[in-house]
Amino acid sequence: MASIRIEDVRKSYGPVEVLKGFSLDIRDGEFVVLVGPSGCGKSTMLKILAGLEPASSGSIHIGARDVTDVAPGARDIAMVFQNYALYPHLTVAKNMGFGLKMRGMPKPEIDRRVRDAARILDVEHLLDRRPRQLSGGQRQRVALGRAIVREPQAFLMDEPLSNLDAKLRVHMRAEISALHRRLGVTTIYVTHDQVEAMTMADRIVLMRDGEIQQIADPDTIYARPANIFVAGFIGAPGMNFLAARRAGADRVALFGQEIALPGLQATAGDSLVLGLRPESICLGAGSVRFAARPTLVESLGSDKYIHVGVPEAHRVPLAATAAHDQARRGEALIARLINPGPVAEGDPIQLGFEPADLHVFDPATGAALR
Amino acid sequence: MRLSLPARLLLYASVAATCAILVFPIYWLFVTALSQPDQLRQLPPKFWPDAPRWEVFGRILAERPILLWLSNSALAALGAVGLSMSVSVLAGYSLSRFRVRGGQSLGLFILAAKMLPATLLVIPLFGIFRMTGMIGSLWSVVLAHATLIVPFTTWMLKGYFDTIPRELDQAAMVDGCSPFGALFRVILPVAAPGLAATALYGFVLSWSDYAYARTFLTNAQGSWTANLGITTMKGEYISNWADISAASILVALPILAIYLFLERYLVGGLTAGSDK
Repeated sequence: MASIRIEDVRKSYGPVEVLKGFSLDIRDGEFVVLVGPSGCGKSTMLKILAGLEPASSGSIHIGARDVTDVAPGARDIAMVFQNYALYPHLTVAKNMGFGLKMRGMPKPEIDRRVRDAARILDVEHLLDRRPRQLSGGQRQRVALGRAIVREPQAFLMDEPLSNLDAKLRVHMRAEISALHRRLGVTTIYVTHDQVEAMTMADRIVLMRDGEIQQIADPDTIYARPANIFVAGFIGAPGMNFLAARRAGADRVALFGQEIALPGLQATAGDSLVLGLRPESICLGAGSVRFAARPTLVESLGSDKYIHVGVPEAHRVPLAATAAHDQARRGEALIARLINPGPVAEGDPIQLGFEPADLHVFDPATGAALR
Repeated sequence: MRLSLPARLLLYASVAATCAILVFPIYWLFVTALSQPDQLRQLPPKFWPDAPRWEVFGRILAERPILLWLSNSALAALGAVGLSMSVSVLAGYSLSRFRVRGGQSLGLFILAAKMLPATLLVIPLFGIFRMTGMIGSLWSVVLAHATLIVPFTTWMLKGYFDTIPRELDQAAMVDGCSPFGALFRVILPVAAPGLAATALYGFVLSWSDYAYARTFLTNAQGSWTANLGITTMKGEYISNWADISAASILVALPILAIYLFLERYLVGGLTAGSDK
């Protein structure tokens, strides 16, 4: 186990800069999740950390050792790949012991470690099989086993659950978290799935276009997003965005009402973007209320997603939100209501929220103002 | 999908017709070999000789140095395949995995080399081998065949390596292999079906050559390959096609044996289970 220090790592492919100065200190034993939309540079960063890609500049330390120019096999890290990358010509036992054999470990010690790891992951009965004889979940366990037998300084995991079905993914998510708690090995986990990031991470590193947008623990990143992109990325359904104007130093005008927002920072102009999470909206309650007619009601059993139209004056240009799933954000607002009773499309309803739940962003920079 | 009866009948009829077209020349080779020489040109032709001369194979082996020709062909083919595979494995892997400046042009250049007809290369190769004193030596044929085999096998192997997930190389390197170690310990065992198919292709190409052997080995009877040897059975005025056919069958047998031996490696699917 070791801490990891990444200092100003940059990566360019010709004129395209895919990592624009990535710096991160990871504590010994910490579980850090790199999350972001496709093409944000998270997998590239992981490959640079593993030594599979050279960085254009910057440095990486694992423990006290500078490993920037060290070969992957000499970095003392283990990696779990998205498609498992099990050696198809070797049995499960040989797959798991391959890295130890490469390090010249005596066979009895390899056998002992493989058996121990197999017991932890409940794959003891599969040791003589080949990867093609395993199910997806079993292959995932073997891939994890191959990583843990090495007893490395750090685990690197590149979207290891993305090929599993939804139910198995939830199960393996919990298993990986439990394994991390049990082994205490520093882990860097890459995913594009915000649920994995929120449920597994000690800290989340949210990336976009090769830049870190925010580094924080899951609760902070949800409650106090640093900018409009983070706010839109974390949460399902994503945050609603509404255009509004200042009505004073710390007041905004919304739905024909003036709402007090203490602590609101000054900006260059009057325009603001307000963010409101779907789960912060209530039916017929809250100190700020507005009338609406649902245009779409999606029932999930316990929850209902109520879509209502946004008045023209409060619509936010899509470019301003810049989040990855904002195709519908401009014209519709979603309320996530828990057991709301019957709500029909087209019926007049009263929705409401507390001003304290409003997030405020600068429309020019996207930065959070409150 | 379950086919209707007429569709199935049509399918089987098409397969049977295709097989018949493919197998008929081989069948006719057997008929010719087993027929009396004076029965070969009779009309209507007989589709099976009245008295098959099974002893022809033993007689040919006794009268002609077929075994020497076969061993020369085998040495030339094994040498050419060994040389070609050593080069092609590294070249194909490099083209598949590494992005180098001009790499694509290099790949196309290798392919363009294959597009040149073999006869175009005979004269320059003859000049080179004469200068190096290799005319009459099997080495000349080994090297000449390698020039034919390498371009194709390089591209075949590149295509095969492309189908193997890069994560396997990366996993091997994280596990402590060098890039060469990853190639030899992980990628080549996984690529066994591709290697077998490619080697077989090269072997057949070398085995079936006549032009190079005829040019470089004519004056060295001890180095004649099987194809070259068989053509010497054709007389200036009279040709015993029955004996020539029998010799041709004997020459084709090793290829058949090698194919049967390699068949299990030719079946794909070894990579199944490495991912997803």
